[in-house]
Amino acid sequence: MSFLEVTNVVAGYGSGPDILKGVNLQVQSGQVQCIIGPNGAGKSTLLKVISGLLHPRNGQIHYQGQRIDQLRPDQILAKGICFVPQERSLFPDMSVRENLKMGGYVLSDRHTIDQRINEVFELFPILGEKRHHAAKTLSGGQQQMLAMGRTLVLRPAIVLLDEPSLGLAPIIVEQIFEIVQIFRQNGMTVLIVEQNARKGLEIADWGCVLDLGQNRFDGPANQILDDPRIRELYLGTHKDTAQ
Amino acid sequence: MTDFLQTLILGLMLGGVYALFAGGLTLVFGVMRIVNIAHPAFIFLAAFIAYTLNKNLGLDPLVAVLFNMPIMFVFGMGIYRLLLAKGADSPRYTQMTVLITFGLALMIEGILSFLFTGTIRSVNPPYAVQAIFIGDIFIPRAQLYAGITSLILIGLLALVLRYTRIGYAIRATMQNRAAARTVGVNVERVSTIAFGIGAALAGASGALMSFLFSFFPSGHWEWVALLLSLVVLGGMGQLMGAVVGALSLAVAAAFVSDTLGPTWSPLTFYLSLFVILLIRPQGLFGKKMEAE
Repeated sequence: MSFLEVTNVVAGYGSGPDILKGVNLQVQSGQVQCIIGPNGAGKSTLLKVISGLLHPRNGQIHYQGQRIDQLRPDQILAKGICFVPQERSLFPDMSVRENLKMGGYVLSDRHTIDQRINEVFELFPILGEKRHHAAKTLSGGQQQMLAMGRTLVLRPAIVLLDEPSLGLAPIIVEQIFEIVQIFRQNGMTVLIVEQNARKGLEIADWGCVLDLGQNRFDGPANQILDDPRIRELYLGTHKDTAQ
Repeated sequence: MTDFLQTLILGLMLGGVYALFAGGLTLVFGVMRIVNIAHPAFIFLAAFIAYTLNKNLGLDPLVAVLFNMPIMFVFGMGIYRLLLAKGADSPRYTQMTVLITFGLALMIEGILSFLFTGTIRSVNPPYAVQAIFIGDIFIPRAQLYAGITSLILIGLLALVLRYTRIGYAIRATMQNRAAARTVGVNVERVSTIAFGIGAALAGASGALMSFLFSFFPSGHWEWVALLLSLVVLGGMGQLMGAVVGALSLAVAAAFVSDTLGPTWSPLTFYLSLFVILLIRPQGLFGKKMEAE
């Protein structure tokens, strides 16, 4: 069995229609896996279901052989799966440092938390300079950096990243993808949803294409990048954003 | 000049007490978006507990603060789990809570009327009728003690919010409920505790009310608009906002009472409520609400 395994998951919001219509996904330990697909494909919904923010209507999710799809978000986080939402994932009136501290909320060892916060400051000096500033005063790129830096305080086994490059300038996007490499170097498994499909697949080991709530393709990221059908259907439309 | 100082000091001391009364209300709104119409009813319930403790055991109402807070903390958590925990993710949750807590206030009033009848009560410790003089300025000891107790409790609450783990969790839930979940905060548990803290503050408020004001079971209604005006002025959900709102409106009311007569002083609160809602609906320290 895979590290993280999603089996036939059906999910939707409130009494609305099914957004995910039987999605399957297997994530291997230590890999970066990228989910691509057009708007409304259910990519973000899938991450919400895995992280426990939304319970599936049908299907199962297993993590290290244990079933997790009926657990609360804090219980799933405690198991080592951390979700970084698309936007507004910070605590706006808390300082940069307090936000990082919240990243280690489920850790009990203060010393470890402080040490990792300092490592984040070494990695991103700009966050160190602004450690006492309220998070809401940071620029968009810095906020995303902080959201991802917060994950480095926790060092979960799996990070779920929901479109981390959304709305950021190209130069910042490069930095954000570098952070994904740092996650990998720290032994974290990454499941990333990316609008910028080319870019996302370039840094990934494995890719999968989701469309209208169902799996379309699944395979090594470089094969997906080279597949002419996928290029035409899913990568071509994002050429402008990718360049 | 003495008159001015006298009015200012009386206003500030009353303001400190109002700040405590409003503190629980604003905290509960900030964390859970609950408009607790029953908050004044909680205060009255606590005043009757202090009254009973005083009558039967001779307990000083200031000491009753220490009993009222844990009793009301547990009571508040129970009420939250029983009546308010469900539907917390509904977009119309705030509207729902207005109706639920309105019903709750009626229930508390009914039970108090049954137990204590509608008679006007008050607790009269020795210091209720004593005063301290500094030069020509007189300071009623009851108000002085109540004001100091209030400010200590608000200060303690601020420290808890700033430095403790539960404080971090409460602030995180206030600022971004969804993100609090993603970093592992059990927001349901935090909400229950925060509502308990709000009720515990009402517990302390009730003990102070028992010797500052006279009270009877249906008297809580006139406090609803008054406390809401303090909370709205400061910005709903902002603790320091409620403190500033309470101090400034109490001082303003003291001056209105001094110049126009006491009949006019309640008008200060209602008038300010209208003016704020017209000019700056998010309050002095509040943020603009985002459209759903």
